[in-house]
Amino acid sequence: MAQGTLMALIAAYSLFPIYFITVQSLKTPQEDVFGSPLWVTDPSFENYTELFEGAKARPRGFVILPRVPFLDWLANSALVLAGSLAVTLAAAVLAAYALGRLQPPGWRWWRRALFATYVVPHTILFVPLYQVIIRLGLDDSHGALVLIYSTMALPFCVWILSAYYQHLPREIEEAALIEGASPATAFVRIVLPMSRNVLIAAALFTVGTVGNDFMLASIFLLDPTKQTVAAGLGVMDVSLEELVTVAGVNLAAIPVAAACAVFARGYVRGLTAAMVEGA
Amino acid sequence: MAPALVLVLGVLAYPVGWEVWVSLTDFSTRLDGPPSFVGLANYLALGREPEFWHALTVTVAYFVLTTGLKLAIGTAMAVALAGPFRGRALVFLAVFLPWAYPGSVTVIAWFWMLNPPLLTSYAVAMGGVKHAFDGLFGTGAWAFLSVALFNVWRGASFTAVFLLAGLNALPTELFDYARLETRNAWQRFLAVTLPLLRPYLALAVFLSFTTAFADLANVWMLTGGRIVFPVLGTQAYWLGIRNGQFAEAAARSLSLVPLLVLALVVLFRWFDPPRERAA
Repeated sequence: MAQGTLMALIAAYSLFPIYFITVQSLKTPQEDVFGSPLWVTDPSFENYTELFEGAKARPRGFVILPRVPFLDWLANSALVLAGSLAVTLAAAVLAAYALGRLQPPGWRWWRRALFATYVVPHTILFVPLYQVIIRLGLDDSHGALVLIYSTMALPFCVWILSAYYQHLPREIEEAALIEGASPATAFVRIVLPMSRNVLIAAALFTVGTVGNDFMLASIFLLDPTKQTVAAGLGVMDVSLEELVTVAGVNLAAIPVAAACAVFARGYVRGLTAAMVEGA
Repeated sequence: MAPALVLVLGVLAYPVGWEVWVSLTDFSTRLDGPPSFVGLANYLALGREPEFWHALTVTVAYFVLTTGLKLAIGTAMAVALAGPFRGRALVFLAVFLPWAYPGSVTVIAWFWMLNPPLLTSYAVAMGGVKHAFDGLFGTGAWAFLSVALFNVWRGASFTAVFLLAGLNALPTELFDYARLETRNAWQRFLAVTLPLLRPYLALAVFLSFTTAFADLANVWMLTGGRIVFPVLGTQAYWLGIRNGQFAEAAARSLSLVPLLVLALVVLFRWFDPPRERAA
Protein backbone atom coordinates (compact mmCIF):
# COMPACT_ATOMS: atom_id res chain seq x y z
CA MET A 1 0.00 0.00 0.00
CA ALA A 2 2.74 2.40 1.03
CA GLN A 3 4.61 1.45 -2.08
CA GLY A 4 1.58 2.06 -4.26
CA THR A 5 1.19 5.54 -2.82
CA LEU A 6 4.85 6.25 -3.40
CA MET A 7 4.59 5.13 -7.00
CA ALA A 8 1.51 7.25 -7.57
CA LEU A 9 3.37 10.21 -6.12
CA ILE A 10 6.35 9.65 -8.38
CA ALA A 11 4.13 9.37 -11.42
CA ALA A 12 2.15 12.48 -10.49
CA TYR A 13 5.30 14.49 -9.87
CA SER A 14 6.72 13.44 -13.23
CA LEU A 15 3.62 13.92 -15.31
CA PHE A 16 2.04 16.98 -13.79
CA PRO A 17 3.74 19.68 -15.91
CA ILE A 18 2.98 17.80 -19.11
CA TYR A 19 -0.61 17.30 -18.05
CA PHE A 20 -0.83 20.93 -17.06
CA ILE A 21 0.41 22.31 -20.35
CA THR A 22 -1.81 19.96 -22.34
CA VAL A 23 -4.83 21.15 -20.38
CA GLN A 24 -3.95 24.77 -21.09
CA SER A 25 -3.53 24.08 -24.79
CA LEU A 26 -7.06 22.69 -25.03
CA LYS A 27 -8.67 25.78 -23.56
CA THR A 28 -10.66 28.42 -25.31
CA PRO A 29 -9.69 32.03 -24.56
CA GLN A 30 -12.74 32.38 -22.30
CA GLU A 31 -11.79 29.45 -20.21
CA ASP A 32 -8.18 30.54 -20.11
CA VAL A 33 -9.26 33.70 -18.36
CA PHE A 34 -12.08 32.43 -16.18
CA GLY A 35 -11.62 28.68 -15.82
CA SER A 36 -9.63 26.59 -13.42
CA PRO A 37 -5.96 26.08 -14.20
CA LEU A 38 -6.13 22.40 -13.33
CA TRP A 39 -8.75 21.06 -15.71
CA VAL A 40 -10.65 21.97 -18.83
CA THR A 41 -14.43 21.77 -18.95
CA ASP A 42 -14.97 22.51 -22.61
CA PRO A 43 -11.97 21.16 -24.54
CA SER A 44 -11.42 22.56 -28.00
CA PHE A 45 -8.81 21.88 -30.60
CA GLU A 46 -9.04 25.43 -31.88
CA ASN A 47 -5.44 26.20 -30.93
CA TYR A 48 -4.21 23.20 -32.78
CA THR A 49 -6.19 23.72 -35.96
CA GLU A 50 -5.17 27.35 -36.03
CA LEU A 51 -1.57 26.26 -36.43
CA PHE A 52 -2.26 24.92 -39.87
CA GLU A 53 -4.12 27.97 -41.09
CA GLY A 54 -1.35 30.43 -40.39
CA ALA A 55 0.84 29.98 -43.46
CA LYS A 56 -0.07 33.50 -44.59
CA ALA A 57 -0.12 36.69 -42.61
CA ARG A 58 -3.69 37.56 -41.72
CA PRO A 59 -5.51 40.00 -39.49
CA ARG A 60 -7.44 39.14 -36.37
CA GLY A 61 -9.26 42.12 -34.98
CA PHE A 62 -6.78 44.96 -35.12
CA VAL A 63 -3.57 42.95 -35.07
CA ILE A 64 -1.82 41.20 -37.90
CA LEU A 65 -0.95 37.73 -36.76
CA PRO A 66 2.58 36.62 -37.55
CA ARG A 67 3.08 34.02 -40.22
CA VAL A 68 3.13 30.54 -38.85
CA PRO A 69 4.23 28.13 -41.57
CA PHE A 70 3.79 25.31 -39.14
CA LEU A 71 4.05 22.47 -41.62
CA ASP A 72 7.38 23.84 -42.84
CA TRP A 73 8.59 24.03 -39.28
CA LEU A 74 7.58 20.46 -38.58
CA ALA A 75 9.39 19.28 -41.69
CA ASN A 76 12.47 21.31 -40.74
CA SER A 77 12.49 19.90 -37.23
CA ALA A 78 12.25 16.39 -38.56
CA LEU A 79 15.04 17.10 -41.03
CA VAL A 80 17.37 18.54 -38.40
CA LEU A 81 16.61 15.71 -36.01
CA ALA A 82 17.20 13.05 -38.65
CA GLY A 83 20.40 14.73 -39.80
CA SER A 84 21.75 15.07 -36.27
CA LEU A 85 20.91 11.46 -35.55
CA ALA A 86 22.63 10.21 -38.69
CA VAL A 87 25.78 12.28 -38.20
CA THR A 88 26.03 11.62 -34.47
CA LEU A 89 25.47 7.89 -34.67
CA ALA A 90 27.77 7.35 -37.65
CA ALA A 91 30.60 9.35 -36.12
CA ALA A 92 30.01 7.92 -32.64
CA VAL A 93 30.01 4.31 -33.78
CA LEU A 94 33.23 4.72 -35.75
CA ALA A 95 34.95 6.62 -32.97
CA ALA A 96 33.71 4.30 -30.25
CA TYR A 97 34.77 1.18 -32.12
CA ALA A 98 38.20 2.64 -32.76
CA LEU A 99 38.60 3.69 -29.13
CA GLY A 100 37.01 0.77 -27.36
CA ARG A 101 38.18 -2.07 -29.59
CA LEU A 102 41.29 -1.09 -31.51
CA GLN A 103 42.57 0.95 -28.56
CA PRO A 104 45.26 3.08 -30.20
CA PRO A 105 47.90 4.46 -27.84
CA GLY A 106 46.44 7.06 -25.54
CA TRP A 107 42.86 6.13 -26.44
CA ARG A 108 41.70 6.70 -22.91
CA TRP A 109 42.95 10.27 -23.11
CA TRP A 110 41.31 10.86 -26.46
CA ARG A 111 38.05 9.72 -24.98
CA ARG A 112 38.53 11.97 -21.97
CA ALA A 113 39.42 14.90 -24.21
CA LEU A 114 36.24 14.36 -26.17
CA PHE A 115 34.25 14.26 -22.97
CA ALA A 116 35.99 17.33 -21.61
CA THR A 117 34.47 19.44 -24.38
CA TYR A 118 31.40 19.52 -22.15
CA VAL A 119 33.12 22.02 -19.88
CA VAL A 120 33.12 24.67 -22.59
CA PRO A 121 30.45 27.17 -21.63
CA HIS A 122 28.08 27.69 -24.52
CA THR A 123 26.94 31.10 -23.42
CA ILE A 124 28.72 33.38 -25.81
CA LEU A 125 30.38 30.63 -27.77
CA PHE A 126 27.87 31.09 -30.53
CA VAL A 127 29.52 34.31 -31.62
CA PRO A 128 32.69 32.60 -32.86
CA LEU A 129 30.61 29.57 -33.76
CA TYR A 130 28.73 31.78 -36.15
CA GLN A 131 32.00 32.73 -37.82
CA VAL A 132 32.77 29.05 -38.33
CA ILE A 133 29.33 28.44 -39.76
CA ILE A 134 29.66 31.32 -42.20
CA ARG A 135 33.10 30.13 -43.23
CA LEU A 136 31.64 26.72 -43.93
CA GLY A 137 28.89 28.31 -45.97
CA LEU A 138 26.21 26.89 -43.69
CA ASP A 139 24.75 30.23 -42.73
CA ASP A 140 20.98 30.07 -42.28
CA SER A 141 20.89 26.41 -43.19
CA HIS A 142 19.95 23.27 -41.34
CA GLY A 143 23.47 21.95 -41.77
CA ALA A 144 24.65 24.38 -39.12
CA LEU A 145 22.29 22.95 -36.52
CA VAL A 146 23.06 19.37 -37.50
CA LEU A 147 26.74 20.07 -37.02
CA ILE A 148 26.35 21.78 -33.67
CA TYR A 149 23.86 19.34 -32.20
CA SER A 150 26.12 16.50 -33.21
CA THR A 151 29.06 17.97 -31.38
CA MET A 152 26.87 18.34 -28.31
CA ALA A 153 25.58 14.79 -28.31
CA LEU A 154 28.71 13.00 -29.52
CA PRO A 155 30.87 12.84 -26.40
CA PHE A 156 28.24 11.01 -24.35
CA CYS A 157 27.40 8.65 -27.23
CA VAL A 158 31.06 7.85 -27.83
CA TRP A 159 31.46 7.25 -24.15
CA ILE A 160 28.73 4.65 -23.76
CA LEU A 161 29.41 2.95 -27.10
CA SER A 162 33.14 2.66 -26.49
CA ALA A 163 32.51 1.31 -22.99
CA TYR A 164 30.35 -1.35 -24.58
CA TYR A 165 32.84 -2.28 -27.31
CA GLN A 166 35.63 -2.31 -24.79
CA HIS A 167 33.96 -5.11 -22.85
CA LEU A 168 32.61 -7.08 -25.76
CA PRO A 169 34.54 -10.36 -25.97
CA ARG A 170 36.97 -10.37 -28.85
CA GLU A 171 36.10 -13.99 -29.63
CA ILE A 172 32.90 -12.81 -31.28
CA GLU A 173 34.70 -11.09 -34.12
CA GLU A 174 37.41 -13.72 -34.24
CA ALA A 175 34.78 -16.37 -34.81
CA ALA A 176 33.35 -14.34 -37.67
CA LEU A 177 36.80 -13.87 -39.18
CA ILE A 178 37.45 -17.61 -39.05
CA GLU A 179 34.17 -18.16 -40.87
CA GLY A 180 35.61 -16.08 -43.68
CA ALA A 181 34.10 -12.67 -43.05
CA SER A 182 36.15 -9.56 -43.68
CA PRO A 183 36.65 -7.25 -40.67
CA ALA A 184 34.16 -4.78 -42.12
CA THR A 185 31.53 -7.48 -42.63
CA ALA A 186 32.10 -8.82 -39.16
CA PHE A 187 31.53 -5.36 -37.79
CA VAL A 188 28.42 -4.56 -39.80
CA ARG A 189 26.75 -7.98 -39.58
CA ILE A 190 27.74 -9.09 -36.08
CA VAL A 191 28.94 -6.28 -33.84
CA LEU A 192 26.53 -3.59 -34.93
CA PRO A 193 23.39 -5.70 -34.44
CA MET A 194 24.68 -6.80 -31.05
CA SER A 195 25.04 -3.22 -29.93
CA ARG A 196 21.50 -2.36 -31.01
CA ASN A 197 20.34 -1.38 -27.54
CA VAL A 198 23.37 0.78 -26.92
CA LEU A 199 22.69 2.46 -30.24
CA ILE A 200 19.13 3.11 -29.13
CA ALA A 201 20.46 4.66 -25.95
CA ALA A 202 22.81 6.88 -27.92
CA ALA A 203 20.04 7.84 -30.33
CA LEU A 204 17.63 8.77 -27.56
CA PHE A 205 20.28 10.85 -25.88
CA THR A 206 20.72 12.70 -29.15
CA VAL A 207 16.99 13.22 -29.43
CA GLY A 208 16.93 14.58 -25.91
CA THR A 209 19.75 16.98 -26.67
CA VAL A 210 18.17 18.24 -29.86
CA GLY A 211 14.73 18.47 -28.29
CA ASN A 212 16.01 20.52 -25.40
CA ASP A 213 17.75 23.12 -27.48
CA PHE A 214 16.01 26.27 -28.16
CA MET A 215 18.65 28.95 -28.13
CA LEU A 216 20.88 27.68 -30.90
CA ALA A 217 17.97 27.01 -33.21
CA SER A 218 16.66 30.51 -32.89
CA ILE A 219 20.11 32.00 -33.38
CA PHE A 220 21.20 30.11 -36.44
CA LEU A 221 17.98 29.94 -38.40
CA LEU A 222 16.71 33.32 -39.45
CA ASP A 223 14.55 32.63 -42.46
CA PRO A 224 11.04 31.95 -41.09
CA THR A 225 10.41 29.17 -43.57
CA LYS A 226 13.58 27.39 -42.53
CA GLN A 227 13.07 27.46 -38.78
CA THR A 228 12.37 24.49 -36.58
CA VAL A 229 9.27 24.37 -34.44
CA ALA A 230 11.04 25.48 -31.27
CA ALA A 231 12.82 28.36 -32.96
CA GLY A 232 9.86 29.47 -35.00
CA LEU A 233 7.38 29.62 -32.19
CA GLY A 234 9.85 31.02 -29.72
CA VAL A 235 11.08 33.87 -31.87
CA MET A 236 7.71 35.54 -31.53
CA ASP A 237 8.53 35.87 -27.89
CA VAL A 238 5.45 37.87 -27.02
CA SER A 239 3.19 35.23 -28.41
CA LEU A 240 4.86 32.75 -26.13
CA GLU A 241 1.98 33.66 -23.92
CA GLU A 242 -0.53 32.60 -26.49
CA LEU A 243 -2.19 29.27 -26.32
CA VAL A 244 -1.40 28.63 -29.97
CA THR A 245 2.30 28.49 -29.19
CA VAL A 246 1.72 26.04 -26.42
CA ALA A 247 -0.39 23.91 -28.70
CA GLY A 248 2.25 24.06 -31.40
CA VAL A 249 5.19 22.85 -29.40
CA ASN A 250 3.04 20.26 -27.73
CA LEU A 251 1.90 18.89 -31.06
CA ALA A 252 5.48 18.64 -32.26
CA ALA A 253 6.50 16.95 -29.04
CA ILE A 254 3.96 14.17 -29.14
CA PRO A 255 5.65 12.05 -31.83
CA VAL A 256 9.01 12.52 -30.14
CA ALA A 257 7.65 11.50 -26.77
CA ALA A 258 5.87 8.52 -28.33
CA ALA A 259 9.07 7.35 -29.98
CA CYS A 260 10.89 7.69 -26.69
CA ALA A 261 8.23 5.68 -24.94
CA VAL A 262 8.53 2.89 -27.51
CA PHE A 263 12.29 2.73 -27.14
CA ALA A 264 12.43 3.39 -23.39
CA ARG A 265 13.15 -0.24 -22.55
CA GLY A 266 15.93 -0.44 -25.11
CA TYR A 267 17.36 2.77 -23.69
CA VAL A 268 17.75 1.33 -20.22
CA ARG A 269 19.04 -1.97 -21.57
CA GLY A 270 21.55 -0.14 -23.71
CA LEU A 271 22.81 1.97 -20.85
CA THR A 272 23.03 -1.13 -18.69
CA ALA A 273 24.94 -2.97 -21.39
CA ALA A 274 27.41 -0.12 -21.54
CA MET A 275 27.82 -0.06 -17.79
CA VAL A 276 28.37 -3.74 -17.06
CA GLU A 277 31.83 -4.20 -15.59
CA GLY A 278 32.33 -0.57 -14.75
CA ALA A 279 31.43 2.59 -16.57
CA MET B 1 37.81 7.83 -34.52
CA ALA B 2 38.93 10.48 -36.91
CA PRO B 3 35.48 11.69 -38.04
CA ALA B 4 34.27 12.27 -34.51
CA LEU B 5 37.41 14.08 -33.49
CA VAL B 6 37.35 16.25 -36.58
CA LEU B 7 33.71 17.03 -35.99
CA VAL B 8 33.90 17.88 -32.31
CA LEU B 9 37.32 19.43 -32.08
CA GLY B 10 37.09 21.05 -35.51
CA VAL B 11 33.80 22.74 -34.77
CA LEU B 12 34.78 23.73 -31.26
CA ALA B 13 38.48 24.49 -31.53
CA TYR B 14 38.21 27.79 -33.34
CA PRO B 15 35.37 29.18 -31.20
CA VAL B 16 37.12 28.24 -27.98
CA GLY B 17 40.38 29.68 -29.22
CA TRP B 18 38.59 32.86 -30.24
CA GLU B 19 36.94 33.18 -26.88
CA VAL B 20 40.19 32.71 -24.98
CA TRP B 21 42.01 35.18 -27.21
CA VAL B 22 39.25 37.76 -27.00
CA SER B 23 39.23 37.49 -23.23
CA LEU B 24 42.84 38.69 -23.31
CA THR B 25 42.11 41.77 -25.42
CA ASP B 26 39.95 44.85 -25.09
CA PHE B 27 37.73 43.87 -28.02
CA SER B 28 34.46 45.78 -27.93
CA THR B 29 32.14 47.17 -30.55
CA ARG B 30 32.22 50.42 -28.60
CA LEU B 31 35.88 51.09 -29.36
CA ASP B 32 37.36 52.13 -32.69
CA GLY B 33 40.30 50.42 -34.26
CA PRO B 34 41.55 46.88 -33.94
CA PRO B 35 41.50 45.30 -30.48
CA SER B 36 44.75 45.43 -28.58
CA PHE B 37 46.22 42.83 -26.32
CA VAL B 38 45.70 43.58 -22.64
CA GLY B 39 46.83 40.35 -21.03
CA LEU B 40 44.95 39.30 -17.93
CA ALA B 41 43.50 42.76 -17.28
CA ASN B 42 39.93 41.60 -17.90
CA TYR B 43 40.27 38.83 -15.36
CA LEU B 44 41.86 41.12 -12.80
CA ALA B 45 39.05 43.62 -13.31
CA LEU B 46 36.55 40.84 -12.61
CA GLY B 47 38.10 40.15 -9.25
CA ARG B 48 37.49 43.74 -8.16
CA GLU B 49 33.88 43.74 -9.18
CA PRO B 50 31.29 42.90 -6.51
CA GLU B 51 28.71 41.98 -9.16
CA PHE B 52 31.00 39.27 -10.43
CA TRP B 53 31.36 37.69 -7.02
CA HIS B 54 27.63 37.85 -6.49
CA ALA B 55 27.03 36.18 -9.84
CA LEU B 56 29.64 33.56 -9.09
CA THR B 57 28.00 32.78 -5.77
CA VAL B 58 24.58 32.48 -7.36
CA THR B 59 25.97 30.26 -10.12
CA VAL B 60 27.69 27.93 -7.71
CA ALA B 61 24.62 27.85 -5.47
CA TYR B 62 22.50 27.01 -8.48
CA PHE B 63 24.83 24.17 -9.47
CA VAL B 64 25.04 22.74 -5.99
CA LEU B 65 21.32 23.03 -5.30
CA THR B 66 20.11 21.57 -8.59
CA THR B 67 22.70 18.81 -8.70
CA GLY B 68 22.05 17.80 -5.12
CA LEU B 69 18.30 17.67 -5.64
CA LYS B 70 18.66 15.84 -8.95
CA LEU B 71 20.84 13.20 -7.36
CA ALA B 72 18.59 12.80 -4.34
CA ILE B 73 15.36 12.56 -6.31
CA GLY B 74 16.95 10.57 -9.09
CA THR B 75 18.48 8.01 -6.76
CA ALA B 76 15.25 7.69 -4.81
CA MET B 77 13.25 7.07 -7.97
CA ALA B 78 15.82 4.63 -9.33
CA VAL B 79 15.86 2.60 -6.13
CA ALA B 80 12.06 2.67 -5.95
CA LEU B 81 11.88 1.36 -9.49
CA ALA B 82 14.56 -1.29 -9.08
CA GLY B 83 12.36 -3.98 -7.55
CA PRO B 84 9.56 -5.72 -9.41
CA PHE B 85 5.96 -4.69 -8.70
CA ARG B 86 2.68 -4.35 -10.53
CA GLY B 87 2.50 -1.43 -12.92
CA ARG B 88 6.27 -0.93 -12.87
CA ALA B 89 6.37 -0.35 -16.62
CA LEU B 90 3.87 2.47 -16.34
CA VAL B 91 5.63 4.21 -13.48
CA PHE B 92 8.89 3.82 -15.35
CA LEU B 93 7.41 5.54 -18.38
CA ALA B 94 6.17 8.35 -16.17
CA VAL B 95 9.63 8.80 -14.73
CA PHE B 96 11.19 8.71 -18.16
CA LEU B 97 8.88 11.26 -19.76
CA PRO B 98 10.12 14.50 -18.15
CA TRP B 99 13.42 13.96 -19.88
CA ALA B 100 12.06 12.43 -23.07
CA TYR B 101 9.50 15.14 -23.59
CA PRO B 102 11.31 17.88 -25.52
CA GLY B 103 12.63 20.48 -23.14
CA SER B 104 11.34 23.32 -25.26
CA VAL B 105 7.80 22.23 -24.37
CA THR B 106 8.25 21.49 -20.73
CA VAL B 107 10.10 24.71 -20.10
CA ILE B 108 7.00 26.49 -21.37
CA ALA B 109 4.91 24.32 -19.10
CA TRP B 110 6.90 25.36 -16.05
CA PHE B 111 6.85 28.93 -17.18
CA TRP B 112 3.05 28.82 -17.42
CA MET B 113 2.75 27.20 -14.03
CA LEU B 114 5.04 29.45 -12.03
CA ASN B 115 5.04 32.70 -13.98
CA PRO B 116 1.69 32.60 -15.73
CA PRO B 117 0.73 35.10 -18.42
CA LEU B 118 -1.34 37.87 -16.93
CA LEU B 119 -4.59 36.84 -18.56
CA THR B 120 -4.92 33.43 -17.01
CA SER B 121 -7.31 32.77 -14.18
CA TYR B 122 -4.63 31.84 -11.68
CA ALA B 123 -2.19 34.64 -12.53
CA VAL B 124 -3.22 36.67 -9.50
CA ALA B 125 -2.79 33.76 -7.13
CA MET B 126 0.61 32.87 -8.49
CA GLY B 127 1.62 36.52 -8.47
CA GLY B 128 0.78 36.62 -4.77
CA VAL B 129 2.92 33.58 -4.10
CA LYS B 130 5.74 35.12 -6.10
CA HIS B 131 5.68 38.35 -4.17
CA ALA B 132 5.49 36.60 -0.83
CA PHE B 133 8.44 34.45 -1.81
CA ASP B 134 10.49 37.34 -3.13
CA GLY B 135 9.67 39.26 0.04
CA LEU B 136 11.02 36.44 2.15
CA PHE B 137 14.18 35.65 0.22
CA GLY B 138 14.89 38.82 -1.76
CA THR B 139 14.00 39.92 -5.26
CA GLY B 140 14.67 37.36 -7.93
CA ALA B 141 14.35 34.41 -5.60
CA TRP B 142 11.18 33.21 -7.33
CA ALA B 143 12.86 33.35 -10.75
CA PHE B 144 15.78 31.41 -9.33
CA LEU B 145 13.39 28.86 -7.91
CA SER B 146 11.45 28.41 -11.15
CA VAL B 147 14.55 27.78 -13.24
CA ALA B 148 16.01 25.49 -10.62
CA LEU B 149 12.76 23.53 -10.37
CA PHE B 150 12.56 23.04 -14.10
CA ASN B 151 16.16 21.93 -14.25
CA VAL B 152 15.70 19.54 -11.34
CA TRP B 153 12.47 18.11 -12.71
CA ARG B 154 13.97 17.33 -16.08
CA GLY B 155 17.42 16.36 -14.80
CA ALA B 156 16.16 14.07 -12.05
CA SER B 157 14.32 12.08 -14.68
CA PHE B 158 17.52 11.55 -16.63
CA THR B 159 19.43 10.74 -13.47
CA ALA B 160 16.80 8.25 -12.34
CA VAL B 161 16.81 6.35 -15.61
CA PHE B 162 20.58 6.49 -15.80
CA LEU B 163 21.00 5.16 -12.27
CA LEU B 164 18.36 2.52 -12.83
CA ALA B 165 20.44 1.26 -15.71
CA GLY B 166 23.41 1.33 -13.36
CA LEU B 167 21.51 -0.68 -10.76
CA ASN B 168 20.59 -3.22 -13.40
CA ALA B 169 24.24 -3.58 -14.30
CA LEU B 170 25.18 -4.61 -10.77
CA PRO B 171 25.19 -8.34 -10.07
CA THR B 172 22.12 -9.36 -8.06
CA GLU B 173 24.09 -11.79 -5.89
CA LEU B 174 25.69 -8.79 -4.23
CA PHE B 175 22.31 -7.61 -3.05
CA ASP B 176 21.28 -11.06 -1.87
CA TYR B 177 24.45 -11.24 0.15
CA ALA B 178 23.97 -7.73 1.47
CA ARG B 179 20.50 -8.70 2.64
CA LEU B 180 22.10 -11.24 4.97
CA GLU B 181 24.82 -8.94 6.19
CA THR B 182 22.90 -5.78 6.99
CA ARG B 183 20.18 -5.02 9.45
CA ASN B 184 17.77 -2.86 7.47
CA ALA B 185 17.12 -1.44 4.04
CA TRP B 186 18.55 1.96 4.86
CA GLN B 187 21.85 0.49 6.02
CA ARG B 188 21.94 -1.71 2.94
CA PHE B 189 21.44 1.34 0.76
CA LEU B 190 24.22 3.31 2.42
CA ALA B 191 26.75 0.50 2.68
CA VAL B 192 26.16 -1.35 -0.57
CA THR B 193 24.03 0.39 -3.17
CA LEU B 194 25.52 3.84 -2.89
CA PRO B 195 29.20 2.86 -3.16
CA LEU B 196 28.47 0.55 -6.06
CA LEU B 197 26.60 3.32 -7.85
CA ARG B 198 29.40 5.79 -7.35
CA PRO B 199 30.81 5.77 -10.90
CA TYR B 200 27.35 6.39 -12.35
CA LEU B 201 26.62 9.05 -9.75
CA ALA B 202 29.83 10.81 -10.74
CA LEU B 203 28.91 10.75 -14.41
CA ALA B 204 25.43 12.00 -13.57
CA VAL B 205 26.88 14.88 -11.56
CA PHE B 206 28.99 15.97 -14.45
CA LEU B 207 26.17 15.79 -16.98
CA SER B 208 24.05 17.70 -14.51
CA PHE B 209 26.55 20.56 -14.53
CA THR B 210 26.44 20.83 -18.28
CA THR B 211 22.66 20.73 -18.60
CA ALA B 212 22.32 23.30 -15.83
CA PHE B 213 23.94 25.72 -18.24
CA ALA B 214 21.85 24.78 -21.23
CA ASP B 215 18.58 25.07 -19.34
CA LEU B 216 19.53 28.47 -18.11
CA ALA B 217 20.10 29.65 -21.64
CA ASN B 218 16.75 28.24 -22.68
CA VAL B 219 14.86 29.98 -19.94
CA TRP B 220 16.63 33.19 -20.69
CA MET B 221 15.73 33.07 -24.36
CA LEU B 222 12.25 31.73 -23.87
CA THR B 223 11.15 34.44 -21.55
CA GLY B 224 12.66 37.10 -23.76
CA GLY B 225 15.08 37.97 -20.98
CA ARG B 226 12.19 38.37 -18.56
CA ILE B 227 13.36 35.78 -16.12
CA VAL B 228 16.81 37.04 -15.31
CA PHE B 229 18.93 36.40 -12.38
CA PRO B 230 22.55 37.25 -12.07
CA VAL B 231 24.43 34.13 -12.99
CA LEU B 232 27.64 34.30 -14.93
CA GLY B 233 26.07 32.98 -18.10
CA THR B 234 23.37 35.63 -18.41
CA GLN B 235 25.72 38.40 -17.37
CA ALA B 236 28.15 37.38 -20.06
CA TYR B 237 25.38 37.17 -22.62
CA TRP B 238 24.13 40.58 -21.68
CA LEU B 239 27.57 42.19 -21.88
CA GLY B 240 28.53 40.46 -25.10
CA ILE B 241 25.40 40.51 -27.19
CA ARG B 242 23.59 43.57 -25.92
CA ASN B 243 26.55 45.79 -25.09
CA GLY B 244 29.15 44.50 -27.50
CA GLN B 245 31.75 44.22 -24.75
CA PHE B 246 32.96 40.89 -25.98
CA ALA B 247 36.22 40.87 -24.10
CA GLU B 248 34.65 41.27 -20.68
CA ALA B 249 31.95 38.79 -21.59
CA ALA B 250 34.47 36.18 -22.68
CA ALA B 251 36.51 36.56 -19.52
CA ARG B 252 33.36 36.23 -17.45
CA SER B 253 32.13 33.12 -19.15
CA LEU B 254 35.57 31.50 -19.09
CA SER B 255 36.02 32.17 -15.41
CA LEU B 256 33.98 29.07 -14.60
CA VAL B 257 36.08 26.74 -16.72
CA PRO B 258 38.78 26.11 -14.10
CA LEU B 259 36.06 25.06 -11.64
CA LEU B 260 34.49 22.71 -14.15
CA VAL B 261 37.84 21.22 -15.17
CA LEU B 262 38.63 20.61 -11.53
CA ALA B 263 35.27 18.88 -11.09
CA LEU B 264 35.92 16.83 -14.20
CA VAL B 265 39.36 15.71 -13.03
CA VAL B 266 37.94 14.61 -9.70
CA LEU B 267 35.01 12.86 -11.31
CA PHE B 268 37.13 11.09 -13.93
CA ARG B 269 38.83 9.23 -11.10
CA TRP B 270 35.46 7.77 -10.21
CA PHE B 271 33.81 7.00 -13.48
CA ASP B 272 36.86 6.25 -15.59
CA PRO B 273 39.25 4.54 -13.20
CA PRO B 274 42.70 4.23 -14.78
CA ARG B 275 43.48 0.92 -13.10
CA GLU B 276 41.45 -1.20 -15.50
CA ARG B 277 43.79 -0.27 -18.32
CA ALA B 278 44.47 -3.87 -19.30
CA ALA B 279 40.79 -4.54 -19.99
